[in-house]
Amino acid sequence: MISVHGTVEVGTFSREFSIDVGNEIVGMFGANGSGKTSVLRTIAGLCPLGKGELRVNDEFVDAPAKNIFVLPEMRNIGMVFQDHSLFPFMTAVDNAAFPLLMRGVKRTAAVKMAAEMLEQFGVAHVAQHMAPTLSGGQSQRVAIVRALIGSPSAVLLDEPLSAIDEASREGVRNHIREHLVRLGVSAIVVSHDRAELDHLCTRIENYTR
Amino acid sequence: MNKVGSRTPRFVRIGALLGVVFLALPIIGLFNRVAWSTLWTQLTDVATRDALRISLYASVCATVLALVLGLPLAWCLARLHFAGRRFVRALVLLPMVLPPVVGGVALLGAYGKSNGLLGGVLDTFFGVQLTYSLWGVIIAETFVALPFLVLSLEGGLRSIDTKFEEAAAVMGATDFTRFMRVTLPLLKPSLIAGLMLAWARALGEFGATITFAGNIQGRTQTAPLAVYTMLESNPEGAYALSFLLVAISVAVLVGLRDRWIGGAAQ
Repeated sequence: MISVHGTVEVGTFSREFSIDVGNEIVGMFGANGSGKTSVLRTIAGLCPLGKGELRVNDEFVDAPAKNIFVLPEMRNIGMVFQDHSLFPFMTAVDNAAFPLLMRGVKRTAAVKMAAEMLEQFGVAHVAQHMAPTLSGGQSQRVAIVRALIGSPSAVLLDEPLSAIDEASREGVRNHIREHLVRLGVSAIVVSHDRAELDHLCTRIENYTR
Repeated sequence: MNKVGSRTPRFVRIGALLGVVFLALPIIGLFNRVAWSTLWTQLTDVATRDALRISLYASVCATVLALVLGLPLAWCLARLHFAGRRFVRALVLLPMVLPPVVGGVALLGAYGKSNGLLGGVLDTFFGVQLTYSLWGVIIAETFVALPFLVLSLEGGLRSIDTKFEEAAAVMGATDFTRFMRVTLPLLKPSLIAGLMLAWARALGEFGATITFAGNIQGRTQTAPLAVYTMLESNPEGAYALSFLLVAISVAVLVGLRDRWIGGAAQ
């Protein structure tokens, strides 16, 4: 469960949000500059909430009035960043295995799991390639794996399919849905592509202004 | 040769040529004076060996010390906004522009046994005397080498996109893990460049060392001090050692070519 009721502030941008996400995939639709990415960053703990309250799985993680702010590394959130943010000095599989290593999984086991999941998402053949040599679509698939692999308690996806070619979108979409159902967690998908959200999400919130 | 920008005026070509000659002539002159047949004997002479050993040991220690002090400094200068940041940056850069002898005098003022600010305390309570000791050499070299490391690391830290550290945090990496596994790998080119520049500066240190640590053969006499000392008594040895120091400097340049110098040239 994710619940945001408050003011999201990033730099000069500021907007009220009131979102409750249960065990479902909620799409946030809106143009550039409507604050979609900022909400995700706030939920992840990369930007503090200006006012109001933010809860993940019934626990307050950010509530300025209560003096609560849980650090991002303690929130257990899986996130696909808009620009993927893969570590450039690592291979695809090491990138994918990173969240497992952070959760204390042994390296060999982590790499094995990561390799299996990369295969599911159709990028096993580039597992040993360094991140900067991947194509946009390959890099995005690795970023998706990285967001889902560590058993997160909530998943945030910022334009998760934008770089993936039309022909393989449905497959990737199905795998994302499958994993989210397996994890049984709340997920928020942000996109400016309405049709994409219709395919992936159970509910859509409109933030066009 | 048709574009105006690619046509070079004659005076520029002549000036550039003169510049090259000006820089190359001393190196050629030095090589010309090296007695190649006795080079090995000269380099294995006791005084030369002592000087090389002290130089190598002290410069490596100074580089490590500069890293221990310089990395936190560079981090704060690059990423924290605190009162007095400009003052701290000026302080860090000062040893770079200060005449090294003045640096040595200043170090005497701080750690000198009888009148230094801390020298008396160190001597009375810990029995440590920095002046005229190997530690004095290391302190003097660290003092002059630190700015090079801080500048290089600060530049590196500024150019790193923090999005990678943010991603790592969301994936559960704590401060220390983030630093070791994300920041440090991203910083590697600047770190290597900074370490090599700092080490080269420490190796070449003369003024601060001779002022603060003296010129005692086998104890504080580094290679540059030995060259200076030998120039009168044993010029052949001085040229042999100078040749070796040129060779080391060239090796540093080759090691740096893609990281700092090459980057600016291309």
